[in-house]
Amino acid sequence: CGFEPAYGPNSAATRLRNAILVDEPSNQDQFELVRQLEHRLGAANDARFGLSVALDIREEGVALTSDNRTTRKEVIGKGTYALRDLASKEVLLSGKVDSFTGYSTTGSTVSELAARRDARRRLMIILADRITTELIAKANTLPG
Amino acid sequence: QEFKVNFGLSNGDPNAPIEVEADSLSVDQATGNAVFTGNVIITQSDMSFRAALVEVTYLTEDTGIAKLTGSGGVALQSGNDTAQAETAVYDVESGLIHMTGNVSLAQRGNTITAQRMTVNTANSTAELHGRVRTVLQPAAN
Amino acid sequence: QSTQGNKVILIADSVFLRGSETLIARGNVEASYGETMLTATSITYQSGPDQITIEGPIKITAPDGVQIFASFAELDADLQTGLIESARLVLKEQVNFTADRLRRLEGRRSILTNAAATSCKTCDDGRPPLWQIRARQVIHDQDTKQLYFEGAQFRLMDVPIFYVPRLRLPDPTLNRATGFLIPNIRARSRLGTGVKVPYFIAFGDHRDLTLTPYIAANTRTLEFRYRQAFARGRLSFRGAISDDDISSQSTRAYVFGEGAFDLRNDYKLRFRIQQVSDDAYLADYGYSSADRLNSNITVSRVNRAENTQLMISNFESIRTGEDNQTIPSFITSARKQKRFVPAALGGEALWELEAHSHYRLSDLSTDVNGDGVVDGRDVSRVNADLSWRRNWLLTSGIELGTQASIALDAVETRQDSTITDTSYAEITPAAAVSLRYPWIKRAENGVTHMIEPVVQLGWSGGTLRGGTVPKIANDESTRSEFDEGNLLSLSRFASDDRRERGMALAWGVNWSRLGPDWTTFLTLGQVVRDTVQPDFSASSGLAAKSSDILVAAKFKNQAGLAFSARTLIDGVDGSNKAEARGGWNNDRLGLEASYIWLDADPDEERVADLSEWNLDGSYRMTRHWTGLANWRYDVASDATAEAGFGVEYRNECVKAKFEVSRRFTSSTTVQPATDYSFTVEILGFSTKTIDKSYTRECGQSAG
Repeated sequence: CGFEPAYGPNSAATRLRNAILVDEPSNQDQFELVRQLEHRLGAANDARFGLSVALDIREEGVALTSDNRTTRKEVIGKGTYALRDLASKEVLLSGKVDSFTGYSTTGSTVSELAARRDARRRLMIILADRITTELIAKANTLPG
Repeated sequence: QEFKVNFGLSNGDPNAPIEVEADSLSVDQATGNAVFTGNVIITQSDMSFRAALVEVTYLTEDTGIAKLTGSGGVALQSGNDTAQAETAVYDVESGLIHMTGNVSLAQRGNTITAQRMTVNTANSTAELHGRVRTVLQPAAN
Repeated sequence: QSTQGNKVILIADSVFLRGSETLIARGNVEASYGETMLTATSITYQSGPDQITIEGPIKITAPDGVQIFASFAELDADLQTGLIESARLVLKEQVNFTADRLRRLEGRRSILTNAAATSCKTCDDGRPPLWQIRARQVIHDQDTKQLYFEGAQFRLMDVPIFYVPRLRLPDPTLNRATGFLIPNIRARSRLGTGVKVPYFIAFGDHRDLTLTPYIAANTRTLEFRYRQAFARGRLSFRGAISDDDISSQSTRAYVFGEGAFDLRNDYKLRFRIQQVSDDAYLADYGYSSADRLNSNITVSRVNRAENTQLMISNFESIRTGEDNQTIPSFITSARKQKRFVPAALGGEALWELEAHSHYRLSDLSTDVNGDGVVDGRDVSRVNADLSWRRNWLLTSGIELGTQASIALDAVETRQDSTITDTSYAEITPAAAVSLRYPWIKRAENGVTHMIEPVVQLGWSGGTLRGGTVPKIANDESTRSEFDEGNLLSLSRFASDDRRERGMALAWGVNWSRLGPDWTTFLTLGQVVRDTVQPDFSASSGLAAKSSDILVAAKFKNQAGLAFSARTLIDGVDGSNKAEARGGWNNDRLGLEASYIWLDADPDEERVADLSEWNLDGSYRMTRHWTGLANWRYDVASDATAEAGFGVEYRNECVKAKFEVSRRFTSSTTVQPATDYSFTVEILGFSTKTIDKSYTRECGQSAG
């Protein structure tokens, strides 16, 4: 039916393994994103490609109760990624991924803090997985 | 700062005597015109006219020069104004000089370039046409 | 043509030299000097007085966005100074000045007499511009970027509205200047109708203060915003002070502040302050919807190998029924994660040290206020964790993943009589093996399908507390979620004060279809365990041995339609949690919608189902009219929580916006409130570039 293993022998996706250097993270969200990207794509050793991801994350209160309590917040994240050739700096692949995660704010203050940190971490893992899927799908368009 | 055009201003008389120097002279049998070739220099009072080739056409009864036609790069010098062009025709009787082809006129800091220029030596005026470009040196005020 | 120093370059179809010092250029004349450009039909240059007389439709383009149109002008040879008759001055193609005479000075200032200024499109059908400012004299100074009007009269459709002897406005290229900003009229139930007049004060380039008096029927308020930028950081504070007739307090105030600074060796400091005088102030004035005020200082450093977060945080709740004595109000947390590649093993190793403590003001060690939580409990915990993971790519295309970790948790609980193990330590080894087998099909029309089954078998050690073994306090991990982000985690609790234990098999399937026209992702997943984890709430979907089925989907297409949805389905009563967000954005419509459904769950203090629709949209009905609407509908109690609509008229020179919104929620401290707002803004004097798509055409009517 036309399907074949994505990481099959000499498949396009195998050329991506351990070949991508993700840009250095500068905050906790990016740290989690880079960690998951390196986990899924393999940490770079003498990488051919550079991957930069611009994150746009905001939080929005939902589930407002009748006595004006916001009982849940959603973390909405968008990642615009660009894969470039490290030598020529030319952008080879780019795209946008987005998703959201939620956390409840009805617990104690520390539960809200922990739930918020965990929600942002999960969102980064989802965005990293989506980027990985798109890179594998478009790997055949990469040169050489 | 004076900006003057003094083509022939000094004597204003188109029929002052004209002298011609050249490397060689030949006569065109068909038209009877004299053709000077080889760094030709024509002077009339303080105006000088240099060209690679100048053809002189005389008046009907040979009573004087009707027209000087310079080509192959012409330079006109008058007082401290200089003008260059590819070709120039000096109609002595009317005192008009028609210059065509990359005309450039220089007067103390101002340069004007054009396709065609007509200088009227009688009333010391000049007209330039064809996307004329002038570079003016405004007074340092 | 290059501008050689102080030379004037003149190009024309023909040039006539007259007598001793006259040069006349005629036909498509272009003149330039430095950055000033000029076009005209004819130019006469007199070398004596060194003056230029210019005729015909003249256009002068000077630096800083200045353009001058006129029929006659006399300027110095260098085009910098002189007199221009019946001139029209245009600034940055936005603001138009017509004047009988315009005097140019050194190419930097224009003095217009009997001038009329407007940024509205004026058609030559004789109709007056929507608004204009007439003045005896207007001075435009390109250096200070200011416009000084003398004897200014503001006219609406040529009807004089008000007269100001002296008026100063910024020119459109100025981005920082002290002065009044656009006022707006507000009417808010309980506060009555009033007006806000913001005044911006710039203290140099790095500091500014905006003071906004807000005078209304029932309140006298001064709002402020202070901002300061430093070489290594910035800070900003906003707040307000009110004396109103709707609360028993004499003066009410709030201040919110935040700042971020770069410290030495890549550390960053951030702080946030949130203080308010009384609980209802923020909601009454619509300043913020925050219901827990959080002030904190964090110092952090993050790079590829390290994530260090040190935080001291204070919470002050303004929620009804939440007593600041019994909530964890002082929290300190220090966490350091370091990643490295172990030489022998390869893959990624990470060690983590975390110290956390939270303190409740109350010293009662029992649950006196009956909210199910011991009133005065204080908890401190230290966690140390070393984990390693590595993936192998097998020739068949299967990705084999291995993972191992060892964690030490030490918890000390004080002032809680229900806890016997007040200081407790636990070691939790864990390991997991996972298989991921992505398949791909690339069709010719650029569509790619991917199916990626994944399965993970994990085990975590340590003793499972609850039941016979005495429990330990659980303040942090009471709200756990289950989604694609933690399908393969070994512990899905939000914090390290709880860990999942025992065997767990997690399976998932990701299907994605990527195409030039539309793209979709679908994920199914579930976790099956050998033991029930008692600390998961029912609606988290992880309470039973086999978790609810996670179904998550994403769709987006070229036409701007996109939505994401996620639900947890269990065999018994269908879905007990569903969340969706969607949007449809094209050049005329901007629609954002979200939906949420949460089952009633006593563990999460939710006595009834909670379900809510949320719509927020703007639709550009015509070239100038845009409709705005938002609506928050509580499905479970079949009542609107918030609703609002607005309409905005906008063209090239004026933007008027009218909005009404009502919040229906009420509590002992907060009343329902309706908020009307009307703003009229004259455009053209700010540096924001004007969106040309709103500009009116001459043929059509003003509407």
